[in-house]
Amino acid sequence: MTDSRTSPEFSRRAFLAGATGLTLGAAFGTPVMAQGARTLRVRFGSDISQLDPARIFQNENQSIASHIYSGLVQYDQRTNAIVPDLATSHEVSSDGTTWTFKLRPNVTWHKNFGAFTSDDVKFSLERVLDPATGSLYRGQLAGLKEIQTPDPMTVRLVLESANSGFLHKLCAFNQGWMVSRRAVTEIGERYSMNPIGTGPFMFDSWTTGNQVRIVANPAYYGGASTLTDVIFRIVRDETAAAIALENGELDIFYALQSPDVIDRLRKASSVTVLDRPANNTVNLVLNTTTGPLQDARVRRAMAHAMNRKALIDGFFRGTKFEATSVLTSTFQEFSDEGVTRYPFDPDRARALLKEANVSNFRFEITTVGLNPFDRFPVPLANDLQQVGIQATVRVLERGAYVQARSSGNVQSCITAVVGPPDPDSPLVTLYHTRSHPPGLNTSRYDKADALLAEAARATDLAGRKTVYNRLLRQTMEDLPVIPLYADRLFIAHGPKVQGFVQNSLFTVNVSPVSLSGA
Amino acid sequence: MLFYVARCAGQLAVALIGIVTVAFFLMRAIPGDPALYMLGDFATTEALATLRARLGLDLPVWQQYGIFLARAAQGDLGVSVVTGQPALTEILAAVPPSAALAVSGMAIAIAVGVPLGIIAAVRQGSAIDVGVMLLALGGISFPVFWVGIVAILIFSHALGMFPALGTTSEPGILKGLHHLALPALVLGLSVAAYIARLTRSAMLEVLGQDHIRVARAMGVPERRIVWKLALRNALIPVLAVIGVTFAWSLGNAILVEAVFSRPGLGSTILKAILARDYQLVQAGVLVLAAAVVLLNTALDLIYGFIDPRLRQT
Repeated sequence: MTDSRTSPEFSRRAFLAGATGLTLGAAFGTPVMAQGARTLRVRFGSDISQLDPARIFQNENQSIASHIYSGLVQYDQRTNAIVPDLATSHEVSSDGTTWTFKLRPNVTWHKNFGAFTSDDVKFSLERVLDPATGSLYRGQLAGLKEIQTPDPMTVRLVLESANSGFLHKLCAFNQGWMVSRRAVTEIGERYSMNPIGTGPFMFDSWTTGNQVRIVANPAYYGGASTLTDVIFRIVRDETAAAIALENGELDIFYALQSPDVIDRLRKASSVTVLDRPANNTVNLVLNTTTGPLQDARVRRAMAHAMNRKALIDGFFRGTKFEATSVLTSTFQEFSDEGVTRYPFDPDRARALLKEANVSNFRFEITTVGLNPFDRFPVPLANDLQQVGIQATVRVLERGAYVQARSSGNVQSCITAVVGPPDPDSPLVTLYHTRSHPPGLNTSRYDKADALLAEAARATDLAGRKTVYNRLLRQTMEDLPVIPLYADRLFIAHGPKVQGFVQNSLFTVNVSPVSLSGA
Repeated sequence: MLFYVARCAGQLAVALIGIVTVAFFLMRAIPGDPALYMLGDFATTEALATLRARLGLDLPVWQQYGIFLARAAQGDLGVSVVTGQPALTEILAAVPPSAALAVSGMAIAIAVGVPLGIIAAVRQGSAIDVGVMLLALGGISFPVFWVGIVAILIFSHALGMFPALGTTSEPGILKGLHHLALPALVLGLSVAAYIARLTRSAMLEVLGQDHIRVARAMGVPERRIVWKLALRNALIPVLAVIGVTFAWSLGNAILVEAVFSRPGLGSTILKAILARDYQLVQAGVLVLAAAVVLLNTALDLIYGFIDPRLRQT
């Protein structure tokens, strides 16, 4: 479904080939070394707040960080395959517990913070693991027992037990982003807004509520960007952003969501609209420990009762996809073969409710007061009423919503797990017992731990795929979580933008982008 | 005069302490806290406890309040819990764009609203009066975000006269004014509608008073009656509204800021409230309250200038 109407391909890997990047650029008729400022302007929907990888959250922060930091390995933006980054190669011991990484030589930190070495890797990972850091991602590195640095260009990670999915945790995202021991120590408290990385762009400035500016890193090991700087401009209103894009005041429109604005931009002659399935679904999480919801038949009845296709076609006007499980096709490990589907079938829903001997059932959907989450549950509640469930929707402001959800005392809530293409990201978060409240497993489902552990023990991708498929079959049969729709990401760009690659995360990365002449 | 300044300073201190105290406890009374906001999807009982301890949220509220007051007295309003930057710095950065919008918006509002109100009052019942009042009704009724979007569609999209984005990072005062023009116009015209209506009714009231009738009977020229005798008296309530609206638009131009993608105090405080960024909210409320108190003081001085009778009080 990826729309690739972009003209000449100018990917990051072309740059990784080193000096050939320049010749390639010239071959495509792109004036690579033009004089003066070559500024790319990107629309952000909201402000940034935190750029420390240990504490980073929210798409805008992660978008900026993805330009500044690198990881040992990274996701290929196009395919989500894991490819080298700061580590040029790695080896896994035969028992799967020792991972040895060879680091890329001659990599330097931004702003004269010295050379990147294995000590920085040790520092970065230990910092996330240290409870005092308060990292959001400490759980991601669970099972990492020891970090050894036999020499400055070698890192050895020792795991408690084999985990074939461990490379996902080291990918350039969140806890996988490497920080400099010297920079974090010297900059101290202000580090969160003065980040130092090894990536293609360096942090320059942040004007609250207005814009973030990053400048090209001339020493980037993958080849310096042809841009001089990138300005991320905070433009909250989508209509205003669309006009600014059409007028040439912006080059890239990130976080495009409104169906109206998408339509408008698709008709605009100078604008390219890209879209791609996202890594996440939006789900109705049912508390399986109380009332009629303890009965799987009731949960299945609800899935049959809700016309999710009509929601996508009607409410979202086709800007979302149908979801068959909480994993989407963007995951390399995804397979929905044999997974139970729940087509819209009110009669079947009524029959199931009758079988479960449920009547006069009061059901409340708790959701967050943010567009579109405050509105789309309404037609679903209406569908549920049609089969005799007395469904209501309770909309809470975000802070109150997070509190209600983390207390675990909600009958059901709307939850999306936005993250990297690591299947554990949605699966552990939604189904593992260690994610019980205050975590996101508000259904308090407890039958996935063994399968998730088995997936970690599987030795190759095919093996992992099989185990995850079993997990999806089981969870879609037990149905503690009803996937409502799969998210779809829209990004638009103007005529001068060349080589942009849209990822399946909720972030924007412009590292491979160049600007064509005026 | 010294007494006057001292009284103002006293008022300022009392108002600030009162307002910030209310903000402090109100923020803590609403559900949710910054630790939950930041940990969000990854909250574990242990991580929540660690973060709350680091932010000092594990202490009893009265103790947090004591610490806050003690530090605030030394000019330290703490750091934003979300960004880790000093709260006051972050708030003060939002003041210039807010002030620029409020000042230019009010200038337009006064320049348009007061003359229109006067003309409408002088020509009461005429077509001009009806036209002005209809326009004013429109200005009050149409929501400012809608007017903003329409203005962008017309002036930046169709006519290409102004940029769609209300700020620019490029240097140059002219460039900045070019970006500011449309948001200032939208804010200014919505306020002008209020001012025009108010000026009209105030003028009508004054024009109907005995001393105006006496002046007319004595043959004082109409021009002098309107501009000298009536307007001066009518300006007092108008000024009061201008003062309030000016203070209001410093912190409440959120909708205009949102439509025209401008940073500002209102947007910054709203963002802080949503993130439960207590320190940032407190700093923001403090700065806004200080601005309002100072504005009111300035307004008091101007009243005295316009109406000598008010100088004594």
